[in-house]
Amino acid sequence: MHMAVQTTIVSERRVSSLRLFMTYMLHNPPTLIGFIITVAFYGWAIIEGVLQLLGMVLHNPAIGWALLPYNPFAVNYAAAFQPPSLKHIFGTDNLGRDLFSEILYGAPTEVLISILVVGSAILIGGFIGMISGYFGKYVDEAGMRVTDMFLAFPAIILALAVEAAIGRGAINAAIALVVVWWPTYARLFRAETLRVKTQYFIDAAKLSGTGSAGIIFRHIFPNVLTPIISYATIDLGNVILAYSIISFLGFGVPPPYPEWGRLVSEGFQYFPAPAWWYAIIPGVVITIVVIGLALLGDGISEYITSGGITA
Amino acid sequence: MGLASFLIRRSINMVITVLGVIFIMFIITHVITPNPAVAWAGPHPVPSIVEAITKEYHLNDPIYVQFYYFLLAVFQGDWGEDPMYHQPIIQLIDTYFPRTLELTIAAMIVIIVLGILTGAIAAVRKNTPTDYTIRAFYLVTWSMPPFLVAMLLQLAIAYGLRLLPATGLANPLLPMPKPITGMPTIDALIEGDWPFFWSSLRHLILPATALALVAFGIISRLIRNSMIDIASKPFIRTAIMKGLRERDVVFKHMLRNALIPAITVLALTFASLLAGAVVIEDVFSWTGMGWLLTQALYQQDYPLVMAGTFIVAIGIVVANLVADILYAVVDPRIKLE
Repeated sequence: MHMAVQTTIVSERRVSSLRLFMTYMLHNPPTLIGFIITVAFYGWAIIEGVLQLLGMVLHNPAIGWALLPYNPFAVNYAAAFQPPSLKHIFGTDNLGRDLFSEILYGAPTEVLISILVVGSAILIGGFIGMISGYFGKYVDEAGMRVTDMFLAFPAIILALAVEAAIGRGAINAAIALVVVWWPTYARLFRAETLRVKTQYFIDAAKLSGTGSAGIIFRHIFPNVLTPIISYATIDLGNVILAYSIISFLGFGVPPPYPEWGRLVSEGFQYFPAPAWWYAIIPGVVITIVVIGLALLGDGISEYITSGGITA
Repeated sequence: MGLASFLIRRSINMVITVLGVIFIMFIITHVITPNPAVAWAGPHPVPSIVEAITKEYHLNDPIYVQFYYFLLAVFQGDWGEDPMYHQPIIQLIDTYFPRTLELTIAAMIVIIVLGILTGAIAAVRKNTPTDYTIRAFYLVTWSMPPFLVAMLLQLAIAYGLRLLPATGLANPLLPMPKPITGMPTIDALIEGDWPFFWSSLRHLILPATALALVAFGIISRLIRNSMIDIASKPFIRTAIMKGLRERDVVFKHMLRNALIPAITVLALTFASLLAGAVVIEDVFSWTGMGWLLTQALYQQDYPLVMAGTFIVAIGIVVANLVADILYAVVDPRIKLE
C-alpha cells in the first residue's frame, strides 16, 4: 500500500518534469534543434536496427533495407561516382552504391556503440567514483590514482593498442573505448558524491541503520545522477566521434557493412577527385549528430542549473 | 601547503602514474594478448621467429619474471629492434617524435592566438550576433571528426585555392636538413637552409590549423566565460569609475585575469593534441609519431604500436604535471592541496 502510493507520486512528478522540459525547449531554439536531431537519429537507428535484426533472424537480409531508397550493398558500376543529385541525394560511391542508403543502414552501430560505451562507463566509473567519494581517505587515494593512470592514456591510442592486442571488431572497439572512458565518470561521480554525502538525509539514513552499500546505491546514486545526465548526453557524441576515428583507421566493423568512419576512409582514396562527396558527406553526418547531442546536453544542463528540476 | 611541498607531492604522483602506465602497458602486451610472441612476429609468423621472440622476451617464464624484464627494458629505453624497419625502435621514435612535437607546438600557437582573440571578442560583444557566430563556429569545429576538418581544409585551401600544399613534410625534392632538434622547420632555420624552411613552413600551416581548429573552442569558451564572470567583479567597476579607457579595462584587467585559468587548460590541451595528431598526420601524410603509429597499426607492427602508445602517454603525463605547476605558479591566490 505504502509502496504503491510512493510510485504514483514519483511517476506523476516525472511526467510533469518532462512537460516542463518541453516548454523550456520551446523557448530555447538551440536545445530544440538538438532534441530534434537526437530523436531523429536515435529513433531511426532503433527502427533500422530492429529491421536488420529481423532480417538476420528470418534469413532475409532484404528486410534490413526495406525502408531505404536503394539496397546499400547492390553494386552497379554504371552508376559509380555520381555526384549528389535528386536521384542520389548524397551521391554514389566507387561501386555505384547509394551513399544515402549506406549511411542510413550504418546508423544502428553508431547508436549501439555510443549507448554501450557511455552506459558501461557510467556503471564502472559510478561504482569506483561513489566508493572513493563516500569512504574517502585511503580508498579515495587508491581509487583516484588508478583513475589517473587511465586518464593519462590518450583515449583513442589506448583503444587502438587494446584492439591491436585483442583483435579488431566492433565489440572489441567498444570494450577498448570503455577502458578509456570510465575514468571521467569516476571523477564526476566522486565529486558529486562528496557534495551529496554531507547532506542531512544521508545522516538520517545512517542513523536509521542503513549500511554503506544501501546508502551508496539507494540514497547517493539517485541524487548524483541528475548532473551526470547532461554530461552523458554530450558524451554520447564524444563516443561517436572517437569511434568514427577508430573506424576511420580501419578498426571498426569489417566491410561491406557501411560504417560511417570507414565510409570516410574509403572515400578518402577518391578524394578530392573524382568524388569529394564520398569522404565529406559521411563526415558531415557525424558532425550533425554530434552537434545535436551537444546542443541537447547543454540545454539539459542549463535547465537543471536554472532550477528546472527540484532534486 | 607551500609551493615546494606541493610540487614534490605532484612529482611523486607523476612517478606513481608513470609506473601505473607501464603496468597497464604490460597487462595489455603480456596478459590480455592471447599469444604475444605470435602477435609480435607480425602478420605472417614463422615458427623460428616466434621461438626467438619467446626466448628474447622471456615469454615462457613466470609472469613476474616477465614484468621484471619488461621494466628493465623500459627504463633502459630498449624497446628492441623493429621487425618492419629493421632498426632499434628507440631510433625510430627519435626520428619521428620531434616532427609531431613541431606540429603540436605550431597548433598550440594557432590555438592561443585564435582562442584568446575569439574568446575576448565574444565576451566584449556578449549576446550579440558576433558572439553567437563565434560560439556557433566552435561548436561546429568541436563536433567535427578531426579527419573531416583536415579534409575540408585540404579541399578549400590546397585543392580549391591552391594556396598551400596538401600533404607531406616539405617538398620531397629538397634534401632534409641535418637533424639537430629533429623538427624539420626548426632545423632548416638553424642551418639557414631557406628553401627547405620556406617549403616546410608552408607544409606545416594546414595540419597545424586543422589540429588547432578541433581544440581552440575550449580555450575560446573559457576565456569568454571567465571574462564575463570577471566583468561583474567590483574591481572592474572601480576601474571603470576611475575613468580608465574601455580598451585598458578589457585588456589590462579583464583579459589578464581570464588568462590564469586558460594557462592550465592550455597545458591540458597540449596533451590532447599529441593524441589528436594521429588522425591529422594520417590525412596530411605528415610523417610524425602519429603517422608512424597508424602505419604500425596497418602493418600489425605490434612492438612499435606499444612503444608509440607508451611514448605518447608519457608525453601526456608530463603535460599534466606542467599544467599543475603552472596552475600553482601563475596565481599565488590559489590554495594548494
